[in-house]
Amino acid sequence: MTRNTGPSAPSPKLMKLAVAGAAILAVAGAGAFYFASKNMKSGASDNAVVVTIKDGACDPNAITVPAGRSTFKIINNSDRALEWEILDGVMVLEERENILPGFTQTMQAKLKAGDYEITCGLLSSPRGTLHVTPSAESEAEAARPPLVSFVGALAEFQVFLMSQTNNLVKATTALDAAIQSGDLDQARVLYQKARIPYKQIEPMADLFADLHNAIDPIADYLEKREQDPAFTGFHRIEYALYASNSLDGLAPVSAKLLADVTALKDRVRGLRIPPEQIAKGAARLMGSIADTKIANGEDHYSQTDLVDFEGNLAGTSRMMALLKPVAIQAAPAVVTDIETRLAEANTTLAALRGADGYPSYDKVTKESRDLLAQKIRALADAIGKLNIAVGLE
Amino acid sequence: MKLKITLSASLFAITAAFLPRVASAEVAPLDLVGPIADYKIYVSENLEKLVADTKAFTDAVKAGDVDKAKSLFAPTRMSYEAIEPIAELFSDLDGSIDSRADDHEKAEKDPEFTGFHRIEYGLFSENSTKDLAPFADKLMADVTELNKRITELTLPPEKVVGGAAALMEEVAATKISGEEDRYSHTDLWDFKANFDGSRKIFDLVRPLIEKSDGEFITKVSGNFDKVDVTLAKYKKGDGYELYDKLTDDDRAVLAAAVNTLAEDLSTLRGKLGLN
Repeated sequence: MTRNTGPSAPSPKLMKLAVAGAAILAVAGAGAFYFASKNMKSGASDNAVVVTIKDGACDPNAITVPAGRSTFKIINNSDRALEWEILDGVMVLEERENILPGFTQTMQAKLKAGDYEITCGLLSSPRGTLHVTPSAESEAEAARPPLVSFVGALAEFQVFLMSQTNNLVKATTALDAAIQSGDLDQARVLYQKARIPYKQIEPMADLFADLHNAIDPIADYLEKREQDPAFTGFHRIEYALYASNSLDGLAPVSAKLLADVTALKDRVRGLRIPPEQIAKGAARLMGSIADTKIANGEDHYSQTDLVDFEGNLAGTSRMMALLKPVAIQAAPAVVTDIETRLAEANTTLAALRGADGYPSYDKVTKESRDLLAQKIRALADAIGKLNIAVGLE
Repeated sequence: MKLKITLSASLFAITAAFLPRVASAEVAPLDLVGPIADYKIYVSENLEKLVADTKAFTDAVKAGDVDKAKSLFAPTRMSYEAIEPIAELFSDLDGSIDSRADDHEKAEKDPEFTGFHRIEYGLFSENSTKDLAPFADKLMADVTELNKRITELTLPPEKVVGGAAALMEEVAATKISGEEDRYSHTDLWDFKANFDGSRKIFDLVRPLIEKSDGEFITKVSGNFDKVDVTLAKYKKGDGYELYDKLTDDDRAVLAAAVNTLAEDLSTLRGKLGLN
């Protein structure tokens, strides 16, 4: 006890100074902590929502928190390991697994305003409720979603583009095989199949001008029309299959189309699409269908324009469905309007369909064309309002 | 001017106070799109395999072929375990496909106890396919429904990135203890699948932080490698040894690496601006 092997004890004066210094630091620290916690809104662990689980019930069983980030402290007072989940319908929003009996775990969740359920022990235990009230922060974020909230939709769009270009390459490979083997009937069937995936992704495919001009030019815009050397791609093949009724000289055209759609597939894979491009592309395509394609037609030889429009509408439908979860909070009216217009356009198109599919496009009356154009114009206008409404323009 | 400086200084102070929860500035949100899209494709491929494998597994159960059903149990689960962070997003299906007896009031005897582990119980504990046919049909239907729902689901990016850590936590909580596959003791198969699923996520986002966070990448890769090497010792045929063959030493090595991985990977969301 009396042996002092350590450094000599500090003088009382120094000690006093040190204590004062520590006190200042402590006050400063407490101040900083107060400042930080005051500004951190919910989320600091000192104001965590405590939920105790015992005998298959949550205590409290009804919780209300403001939107944004909340911390939950889950105490397992039951005699079994359990998991605790926040559910939105059947979807798990957040969960903490394997909380052992007698243990406490904390979990953070960033929640949007709405009503959710919480689990309370066994799968059969009655669930509690979690009511999330709107906060200024959550309202602001909903009105103008940050870029990061589009990541999910954009990734899904990327998957859609990849799977459609995959289908396109597969279908074009089959078409090419039929043409190379001289099977005209089979080539006609496969031609129609290959068009569909291309039409679904047309708003993105036409962003690559070189490929678009090689894959889908129409003779109307070429100097020497069908005789023009730049007349390549789908419509050149269509011309052979339905107008010349001959495969003569078509093999290199078909091989070139296959090379071009393969190049499209490769480019789409690395495509970095800004979120505003989805609605912009869809609105642009719908606008051009309404304003020119319906009146003039593009499939001059096969007269299958209605099938193309169906593919275009299916693609647009998919694109809008992807944006909906992000857009619905910021612009519910615009989203509803788009859905209504989309349904109307689909219904109008479907009404033209007979027992054996769509009629030849030259048989479609001017009245029917005008009505379809009007519906698709309305759809284009509705989609045209989306970007501004979600703060993307 | 002076006011401006003070203001920006205090803004800086506020920012600094928030630093741990603020996204690292290097990763642009759009950089995440590619990795998330690639992960969706990985998930789809696993689901396709899960549906096909579950068909063969449940067919064997219904045909009364105990040996064949036993041999298909562990490999069938792997594609589910690899994508568990997404597969378990639907609470109803997670409960009916992968719940354990403990999740139910009457444990093994509970009529709500269904799915993989119910069939595992019949095959390995009772050594019989008796009365398993309805569970086999239900599992097949649930797996088919899961595939359908996930195909239509926009994957929440924070769940994907958070999944790397979640899978390791899952291993730490239920595989290291040998608790999950308690009747078949095929936990090392699940372990391997969880591990592969976690590493897949890490590999997909790795290029985004490679430059800014080289040290983190090296540490995590090192621990992944350590787990891989240790698990490889227990490879047997196309699969793995039973869990009781795992030595205490190796268990300790795995536990340490998995816990460190779980902890390190839990910072991934923050690093990628997804908190």
